[in-house]
Amino acid sequence: MPPEGRDGHGSTMPDRAHDIFSVPAPIKRVFDKFPLVILPSNDLPRRSNTSQNGNKLFVFTDRTGAKHGRPSFNPQCLKWQAYLKFVGIDFNIVPSNNHASPTGALPFLTPSLPVGGNTAIPSNKLQKWAIEEVHCEEEQQLNSRFEVYASLLDSRIRNAWLYTLYLDNENFNAVARRLYVDPSTTNSIVRSALSAQLQQAARTELLKQSHYIDADDLIVEAGNAFEALSTLLSDNQYFFGRPKPGLFDAEVFAYTHLILDEKMGWKRNTLGQLLKKHENLVQHRERLLKHF
Amino acid sequence: MLELHVWGPAFSLPSIDAQCLATIAYFTLAVPKDAWVLVASSDPSVSPTNELPAVKNGSTWVSRFGNIVDYLRQYSGGEWDLDADLGELDRADNIAFSSFITARAQPLIDLSLYVTSQNYRYQTSPAYAAILTWPNQWIIPPKLHTAAKARTDHLGLSSLDLEAIEDQRNREHSAAVAAGHIPRNFIQRPRDTVSSLLGKTSQQNQFKVEALTAEIFEPLEEMLTRDNKQKSQGYFLAHDTPSSLDALAVGYLSVALIPDLKHPWLHDAMRSKAPVLTAYITRLRTKCFGDNPITPSLALSPSPNTPTALPWRAPERPSLPKIGTTILNTVADATPIWKDFRTNARIKSMAESKDSGLSEQESKTLSEFAKQSRSDLVLSIATVGAGVIALVGYMMSVGLFARNAEKMEAEEDQEDYEINANQTADFLSGLGV
Repeated sequence: MPPEGRDGHGSTMPDRAHDIFSVPAPIKRVFDKFPLVILPSNDLPRRSNTSQNGNKLFVFTDRTGAKHGRPSFNPQCLKWQAYLKFVGIDFNIVPSNNHASPTGALPFLTPSLPVGGNTAIPSNKLQKWAIEEVHCEEEQQLNSRFEVYASLLDSRIRNAWLYTLYLDNENFNAVARRLYVDPSTTNSIVRSALSAQLQQAARTELLKQSHYIDADDLIVEAGNAFEALSTLLSDNQYFFGRPKPGLFDAEVFAYTHLILDEKMGWKRNTLGQLLKKHENLVQHRERLLKHF
Repeated sequence: MLELHVWGPAFSLPSIDAQCLATIAYFTLAVPKDAWVLVASSDPSVSPTNELPAVKNGSTWVSRFGNIVDYLRQYSGGEWDLDADLGELDRADNIAFSSFITARAQPLIDLSLYVTSQNYRYQTSPAYAAILTWPNQWIIPPKLHTAAKARTDHLGLSSLDLEAIEDQRNREHSAAVAAGHIPRNFIQRPRDTVSSLLGKTSQQNQFKVEALTAEIFEPLEEMLTRDNKQKSQGYFLAHDTPSSLDALAVGYLSVALIPDLKHPWLHDAMRSKAPVLTAYITRLRTKCFGDNPITPSLALSPSPNTPTALPWRAPERPSLPKIGTTILNTVADATPIWKDFRTNARIKSMAESKDSGLSEQESKTLSEFAKQSRSDLVLSIATVGAGVIALVGYMMSVGLFARNAEKMEAEEDQEDYEINANQTADFLSGLGV
């Protein structure tokens, strides 16, 4: 009796412990069936094999725009796109967005002959790269007014642009939503969240400089800026009387083209009306548009 | 009589704020001395736009340098206008250089007076304390400090900010403490020690500061010396008459030239990079603001016996209700949902007021915006409310509150308690699941 009892006891205890940790039979049967099929591993993306070996500039644009090398709809991207064209560097443009960029901002360029490994060149190093590539001039050095007048573009006109595109609700719905928000997702909740983020970012940017956003003030300042730029250009073909367009022309073109472009579909374009008062700026834009 | 309301004096200058200084300089250059008074009110809430500098004429308020210049031109019928005689090219230069100075000098001033910790703690903050009244002394400087940090964030010079470095050091320290408890193999080697980090960033700082200051001072220096002549009497654009650009330059750059800061890198950079500009600003500063250093007491309680270069008038001392409103506003603006309500109300009232200067369409859009964000707000309140109810419901169903109820009811009749507790539990379990 005792040995039997001990045996019985000894055999049941481990069983119980086993019960707790072991998978119940029905579930085990289900898991035994996995994996159902083992698929062969995927091929490398087709694009990486067949893509051209040229320089690639990643900008905000759509597929057809990229195919035909049309101007980007983002002023920062368009500035560099135009500049590289003007100095005569060949490149293809690739539609992209901020998440793809190593710095978090477009544009960036992957050169065909990588400098120091396969690195992407962010926009603030593009000019240096271009100068090394084609030995064009560093235009900032040639005229001390370059930086001074450039401040009109990156403060006054940019502020008015931010207001017109993002904070004017009609324009936002007609232009920014179509260009920036809709291509990124089809989910309407994500879309509205993205729109809210975009508008909030623009608002924060403007509120950094003043206590409240005075729309009239922004537009009037932009109008003054156009006037000053128009005087600076006067009867010349390109800014600072240069024989061919350069960085400053690209910077001006980036805004004037987008403001005057019919395809943008502006609902309310006060900036356009102000810009059209200066005939030479309008012609300057048309002259540069022929490069595209 | 025009009243010009500004931030009060500091660092021997008539105002601590660059834009206010520019406006004061413009007044001294353009407006006859008996036609205006200067009030160091140091409180943006005096003006309906909540901004300084602001000009008050009767019931009209105009704020910001550019708007004030325009207003003076209209008000005087073109007489008080420094830019009236500019040629086309000078006019363009005036616009461009004005934009250049405001866009490039403001970040440098922010870095020098606010972000550089020693300067902010030992000089800027006490300077504000001298011109502000209670409770604004405690409310306004931190606000300005945060705003200045936000404006200069993108320059990547936060290592001028000792607090930020201290934070970084603390993080590394706590990482090191944690490291003691984790086996050695599991910790990544720290990339930088504190001293190497500090050493590196101070060099990087040096380069960045060099680049930033060169960027602004070199074009200005070149502008002043462009005709290769000693411009002892000259101004930026014309040789004999000042323009609004000169007023703006003296405003912003005399703040850059404040000499006796703890860490006077901006002053040093300006002196070494732009000697002609420095001499020019010093000369114009004396011309506009007078020879004698200006103290807060001079501005806050001017006596008729001591003659001053500027037409100071004592600001009104804040009344008790005003102090109450300030405190209430601060509390309200710091409370999440209340804050949004207030912003909406402000936008709405701005849109609906007849003399807001907005076109009909703009006010329509604005009030639509206000309406829309109001409904957003209601939605978010509802969401929060629903969340709270769900949480409370869950807690009750789990029994957190039921136990409290038990204790309270335990003092009462035993039978009652049992029935009640059971009922609550049933009721809540229905709700919770």
